Amino acid sequence: MKGNSLAIALVVLAVVFVIIAGLYYEGVLQILVTDPHAAHHTTHAILFIVLAAASLVAANFARTKTTA
Amino acid sequence: MGLLQGATELFPVSSLGHAVLIPSLLHWSFKQSDPSFVPFLTLLHLGTAGALLVIYREDWIVIIRGFFSAAFRGQIRTEPERLAMLLLVGTLPTATVGVYLEHQIKVLFATPKIAASFLVVNGGLMLGAEFLRRRSERRAAGSGTTRREQEEKFGAAEHISFRAAALVGACQSLALIPGISRSGITIGGGLLAGLRHVEAARFSFLLATPVILAAGIVEVPQLFSPGVPLGEYMAGAVLAAIAAYLSARFLLRYFRSGRLDPYGLYCIVAGIVSLALLTLRA
Repeated sequence: MKGNSLAIALVVLAVVFVIIAGLYYEGVLQILVTDPHAAHHTTHAILFIVLAAASLVAANFARTKTTA
Repeated sequence: MGLLQGATELFPVSSLGHAVLIPSLLHWSFKQSDPSFVPFLTLLHLGTAGALLVIYREDWIVIIRGFFSAAFRGQIRTEPERLAMLLLVGTLPTATVGVYLEHQIKVLFATPKIAASFLVVNGGLMLGAEFLRRRSERRAAGSGTTRREQEEKFGAAEHISFRAAALVGACQSLALIPGISRSGITIGGGLLAGLRHVEAARFSFLLATPVILAAGIVEVPQLFSPGVPLGEYMAGAVLAAIAAYLSARFLLRYFRSGRLDPYGLYCIVAGIVSLALLTLRA
């Protein structure tokens, strides 16, 4: 159960990262960007997509495995 | 510049530190504020990453395969799968710090005097890592053993702990400061985590590849800006790749029994001499 709670938390975190990536790509989020006038902050968006993918991988590791 | 970048990127002597110091000491006309400087550096990085990919092509095939198998299964079963996950854990801190702070760090620290000072710090860190390592070697193997025997008491990159991989990755972020060497600090970190010298170098180079490659790929569109002399820059990239390939081959052979000491001493001497020259010239 503990593993599943952690897995769910990591999936939620992944969703948050995807949202942040979208906001950076659309130029809505401007936190610590080199050029605030740029239309897209692609590098930041890619970073958050990678973090989202890493969170999903971690969630898959954390979930309780059922034995066949 | 291509040869310099390719060689110093992998030698534990700080490529960024040399890129800041040498043009200033030799009065080269490279200006880092020049719009074509970033595309040039991008191509040099891609050349270095290409050389590392060629050297570790077989490792990368099994690492990528291992990554997907472990990620979908949710379980690590083989050593390549473990190495793939260690590299992921080690890469995330650098990627995050790099994206958020690279520009600010460069603005703050990319001056010749600061680069020279950090080169001295870099040398001290490497000598410190070797000092601690010698203590571990004495504990593990006792005295009177050969270097090869001492090295055999330590582990391979696949056996490093996840916490240590994250710490080594975090150390790699310090290399954004001109004067701090990426390979020096990650090899030093690997030694403290209990890796053999050659395995610490291998882990360092594997850890560097995605970061260098990503930094290069992200800047690729800038290569097609008007006024960028692509042919000349490509020649620089090829030279960087050749220098990086030869450097990596040399270092992997050297670290079978060699230590970081000579590079640490070089950084301290080079840093002090550069500081003296820059101060006298001012």
